Amino acid sequence: MAAVQGGLVDTDEEKDIKTDPSSDACGNNNNAIDAKPVSTSPGTNAPSGNTKTPVATTEEQQTLLAVLQFLRKNNLSESVDILRREAGLPEDLLDLKGSDGSGSGPGGAGGGVGQEGGDSSSLLSRVAVSVSAAQAPTKVTSNDQPDVSVVLSAYNQQGDPALYDVYYSDLKKFIETVLDCHRAELSQVFYPLFVHMYLELVYNNHENQAKAFFGRFSGDQECYYEDDLRVLSSMTKKEHMRGNETLLDFRTSKFVLRISRDSYQLLKRHLQERQNNQIWNIIQEHLYIDIFDGMPRSKSQIDAMSGSLAGEAKRDANKSKVYYGLLKEPEIELPLDDEDEEAENEEGKPKKKKPKKDSLGSKSKKQDPNAPLQTRIPLPELKDSDKLDKIMYMKEATKKIRLGPETLPSICFYSFLNAYQGLTAVDFTDDSSLIAGGFADSTVRVWSVTPKRLRKVKSAADLNLIDKESDDVLERIMDEKTSSESKNLYGHSGPVYGISFSPDRNYLLSSSEDGTVRLWSLLTFTCLVGYKGHNYPVWDTQFSPHGYYFISGGHDRVARLWATDHYQPLRIFAGHLADVTCTRFHPNSNYVATGSSDRTIRLWDVLTGNCVRIFTGHKGPIHALAFSPNGKFLASGATDGRVLLWDIGHGIMIGELKGHTDTIYSLRFSRDGEILASGSMDYTVRLWDSMKAFDDLETDDFTATTGHIHLQDNSQELLLGMYTTKSSPVVHLHFTRRNLLLAAGSYNP
Amino acid sequence: MSAPKTIPKDAQVMMQILKDMGITEYEPRVINQMLEFTYRYVTTIIEDAKIYSTHAKKSTVDADDIKLAIQCRMDQSFTSPPPRDFLLEVARQKNQTPLPLIKPYTGPRLPPDRYCLTAPNYRLKSVQKKVTASAGRISVPRLSVGAVSSRPATPTIGSSSVPSVTAKVSTPVSLSAQRFTVQIPTAAQSHVPKTTATPPVLMSSSLIGPKTLLMSSSSLSQSDSLKRKHEDDEDYDAL
Repeated sequence: MAAVQGGLVDTDEEKDIKTDPSSDACGNNNNAIDAKPVSTSPGTNAPSGNTKTPVATTEEQQTLLAVLQFLRKNNLSESVDILRREAGLPEDLLDLKGSDGSGSGPGGAGGGVGQEGGDSSSLLSRVAVSVSAAQAPTKVTSNDQPDVSVVLSAYNQQGDPALYDVYYSDLKKFIETVLDCHRAELSQVFYPLFVHMYLELVYNNHENQAKAFFGRFSGDQECYYEDDLRVLSSMTKKEHMRGNETLLDFRTSKFVLRISRDSYQLLKRHLQERQNNQIWNIIQEHLYIDIFDGMPRSKSQIDAMSGSLAGEAKRDANKSKVYYGLLKEPEIELPLDDEDEEAENEEGKPKKKKPKKDSLGSKSKKQDPNAPLQTRIPLPELKDSDKLDKIMYMKEATKKIRLGPETLPSICFYSFLNAYQGLTAVDFTDDSSLIAGGFADSTVRVWSVTPKRLRKVKSAADLNLIDKESDDVLERIMDEKTSSESKNLYGHSGPVYGISFSPDRNYLLSSSEDGTVRLWSLLTFTCLVGYKGHNYPVWDTQFSPHGYYFISGGHDRVARLWATDHYQPLRIFAGHLADVTCTRFHPNSNYVATGSSDRTIRLWDVLTGNCVRIFTGHKGPIHALAFSPNGKFLASGATDGRVLLWDIGHGIMIGELKGHTDTIYSLRFSRDGEILASGSMDYTVRLWDSMKAFDDLETDDFTATTGHIHLQDNSQELLLGMYTTKSSPVVHLHFTRRNLLLAAGSYNP
Repeated sequence: MSAPKTIPKDAQVMMQILKDMGITEYEPRVINQMLEFTYRYVTTIIEDAKIYSTHAKKSTVDADDIKLAIQCRMDQSFTSPPPRDFLLEVARQKNQTPLPLIKPYTGPRLPPDRYCLTAPNYRLKSVQKKVTASAGRISVPRLSVGAVSSRPATPTIGSSSVPSVTAKVSTPVSLSAQRFTVQIPTAAQSHVPKTTATPPVLMSSSLIGPKTLLMSSSSLSQSDSLKRKHEDDEDYDAL
């Protein structure tokens, strides 16, 4: 959220600056400010409640003061008097708080007057914002007045395009000479700086310089930014940028860097020594430097966390309380006949009206402090059929195989033949009785896994004929004549990218490229509702574990929470910079995790719609997410082939599983969370020892506060098994209630 | 196969573009599709630009016309998702309203029928008009079994399958096509499974009686459209 504020603040302030009557001594003209997004909307609603008006006044004053100072320096005393009189500035205001302007230092003196009107004030205010936010109230000792050179440099914002090369190589040289321990951290600055400088050149129509700049320095960037750089290389004109929302967002939002205080001081000192240095301006304008006290991070630590489109997450983005515990399982009374019928009798099974303990629920009656209240979000109450389902579930759970490093699950792979690469989504019901496949030809097909065939409810006319009083009326309403192994569902007008069964097996959701999410009834195998909201492809959808709610995420960069009986979404989770590619509910239905093409994972609170966690570290769009059954951990897989493990409570990365060589499309924890299975495009399913990965967690205070965990390179030890299919990428994984692993994919010879 | 055929220059250019953008693996059809798209896009833009330049009474098409054409097309066909601040604002407003409480068990939880796709998307053609002797139209809300919940607004009696075989009933049977059924509270009050949305309807006793006979036979003659008698055509206006 904080990152968001940064972006909005920019637009707000720029609007203010436009109306700011800057002095004419510098002869500026308010040209298009480079950071202003093309598609402006009245950014009047800064959610942060930033003080817009007082800032504006201060900005005006500071500009005037800066001009005054300039005049005084050049010994134009008469002009000074006239200006002071006209502007009505009292004498004592000349010693203005140095805290605002001083931090910027002599960013770039003299030179011609630039075209970037009004950026001075914005620059100064942003300096204020960034400096105060960075909690480093370091003042450049000499100046206690807004430095005119700073102000003037802003007018010179774009500087001389030909010099961008020079600035950048200067910085490169400097960083190379710095101490080892600081070098890794300071190198983080390269990429955002490079991109912003390039975009500035493009935005100001210096096409040739932009191309030259790009050609010279793009090779130096980190390898994981390759895709972004390629996209950038195709943008050489200002018009190219229009319509690319991701890039526009990148320009307006601040790239977050985490640098230790010592390294930061080094950098600042170096940049302030220089005259005419645009780099400092750009850093202040576009970068948010989250300063922490402590040891500088090593290259590997930095590499682990970086890679996202907007840098890393600010520390305070991951500080809010998250109720990751599970909801208490409702107490279900066992009906009498069930007890008698059971062949095997578990030891210690309670008689009659005792709550049945299930494998997940805690035995204690009091509230788990980490679990949300039962009533935090409204959940549908259990119907009789749900209670029966739960009883079945508990019965099955007793027959569950306990998995571990010694007992690996058997894997049953369902190959979709003749799909011709058209299989785009798969889902299993929780009791593994039905499979649904979504295809690129816009059909959805449901198969029965068990020998029991699929039947739909009889037609209305036939229903009149049945004996409605008979005991097996629920059987009689089913139509045996049209029963079949599989049923096709037609309705979408584009490839179906997401599929999800409801927990009670009555409904099926499918999301498609046509922008709708459709709800299908599995009793009649017809479409019930089309939820329209995203007007762009919807990449993923999922029912909540308790039914009734579902989420969808799509190309419009938001995820939406819906309820089946509302035709409009209940919550909109906006904040990602690029498409939302993967959406998952937390087991307690109170939180939603979204993975996106901007290479971050965000955790949203369903109750308020706020983003409570931001996880960065992947180097490619995220395509798979899985919550552990105990709700504490999240596993994510992306196109970079790594599986990352996150601790939700602390908001930090706790593990990295390397091994896959291609995009990971499916992740699933076993029923008790002991094994994590991952399926990927490289035709393999890998099993990882998640118990061990989570056990090795050390969360002392330092790691908790700074989030700098030292990842062990133990992927090899954690890998329990790798199973290759015969040229079938693994699209979906599912553990049955007895811990048999089912996998699905289409056969691609 | 003959000697390696030369690839046309356009296709070579397209292959180079794909390579520059980092796409190394693609089916051969992709090039053809991209070329077709390019051709269509460029011709559309140029045609638009010609229109704009004639509108501006210029003799030739110049860069401004092309720019305008591109802009207009972008806004029309290649829209991009809304900007971030707009989304954030919309989200903020939406997220302020508390989550609605869930009514206790009410059957399938679906939006109002207007927003569902459960209404029939066809209408039966009336063949003959039949004078009705019933005391006015009795509104019978249609009941649904299964997924089809019927039209909500104006329940009517549509009698599409009145058999002419059995007793000539002047009053219509309110059975229509496959999807609708009326629950007549006869002795055997039906116990419809949980998918029913609306409660049964009481019809006036004048209409009950021969109905029970007709219902069973009517289902047999569903497809017999010629024999359908319709009460009123006005019924269908209300649909």
